[in-house]
Amino acid sequence: MGPHGRDFAAAAARGQVAIRVRQGANVAKLTLAIANKNYSSWSLRAWMAMRQLAIPFEENVIPLDTPETARQIAKHSGAGRLPVLHHGDVTVWESLAILEYLAEIFPDTPMWPRSRRVRAMARAVANEMHAGFLALRNACPMNLRRPRKPLTGGLGSDVRANVARIEAIWRECRKLHGRGGPFLFGKFSIADAMYAPVASRFETYAIEVAPESRAYMEAIFATGSFRAWKQDAMNEEWVIPADEVD
Amino acid sequence: MAEFHLFIGNKCFSSWSLRPWLALKHIGAPFDETVIRLRQPDTRANIRALARSEKVPCLHHGRRVVWESLSILEYLAELFPDSHLWPRDRGARADARSLAAEMHSGFTELRNAWSMNLRRKKAPKLLDGAAQDQAKRIEDYWRRMRAAHGQGGPFLFGAFTAADAMYAPVVTRFDTYGGTLAPETRAYCDAILATDGMRQWYTEAAAEPWPEPNPDE
Repeated sequence: MGPHGRDFAAAAARGQVAIRVRQGANVAKLTLAIANKNYSSWSLRAWMAMRQLAIPFEENVIPLDTPETARQIAKHSGAGRLPVLHHGDVTVWESLAILEYLAEIFPDTPMWPRSRRVRAMARAVANEMHAGFLALRNACPMNLRRPRKPLTGGLGSDVRANVARIEAIWRECRKLHGRGGPFLFGKFSIADAMYAPVASRFETYAIEVAPESRAYMEAIFATGSFRAWKQDAMNEEWVIPADEVD
Repeated sequence: MAEFHLFIGNKCFSSWSLRPWLALKHIGAPFDETVIRLRQPDTRANIRALARSEKVPCLHHGRRVVWESLSILEYLAELFPDSHLWPRDRGARADARSLAAEMHSGFTELRNAWSMNLRRKKAPKLLDGAAQDQAKRIEDYWRRMRAAHGQGGPFLFGAFTAADAMYAPVVTRFDTYGGTLAPETRAYCDAILATDGMRQWYTEAAAEPWPEPNPDE
């Protein structure tokens, strides 16, 4: 990122500057196909990182759970999954693979921490999120429009264990590497994008967390990218009954 | 003491452990290994005390502690660029990372129905529903990657990559439970099973002194 990169990212996140067009090898347009913003936690990750780090792209929202969904997704990806990123003739799916791809093609954008040691930890926690915490994800689907209140019937012990582990990860990252800012590794990185949906679940389901976890969640919610995403979600009209839990 | 130290679970059934172990073998970097017996009352305490981690596999490199199989592979790919753990071509690399990430987080029903068990006698075990769809999707990926990128070698992207390491445990599952496989699937499985790394892993799994896993589970 150039000398003004940080200012640019901040201003772009506030919607105050036009998107900078990068010339050269990466000039092919990036298109991100995503699902409903209210529910799609996987889509949020890729979208948030791109928006927050001022990577220019076009979005294409494909609503889930409609008669057209499967056919529309199939147009984008043989994997039958969203999100999918198109870049020229390259197609990448899986949120974490998309973010690794972008980290490669935008080496000047600080998507991962710069130090190899810190980057290794950021990748480890991002991967733990990518593959884990199924109990929490199943019990508390991301649902940005749901009024904030505890899950009726409370949290099972497996969900509580997930919450405790996530809080321990946040605490450890912030303690070891969080000096340069309010995010897990100080400045915003892919790791924060990976955990943003979990932060939204803690909020939606009024899950009690430690003050330092609360502060981290507030930092996520205050980003321009998260606020823009949430605003879009509020304006969606699609409802997925399976993800509406009391 | 080697530069690297990998902490893993039982070789008979720890599919996550196999992935980074195989990648280290492919790279040829000397490493120490510690096998921590899983499914014991003190397993978690042992992992915390020895690996300084919540889970295995876990790689120690000096004072660095890296966990999660896929992030260990990314770490090794950075440290050993000449080993080309990811394909050189950007498009192929994007495919490889997508496949690896999907394996890392997905195919849950298949993994549950065909759990990795290197002691189990080879015999077909039929799949249904989601697990069957997932097995089909994996075979479809293998076929498509071999067709698009597989000139140059018997692996998904020709030469051995991190994507092969990620799918190696599912190769053992196809071999154990899959019965008669489609010819392309069989050929890819055989290529993985014939690597020095896999042969050594199987030998060491067979020599494990612990009763678990039961050969029938």
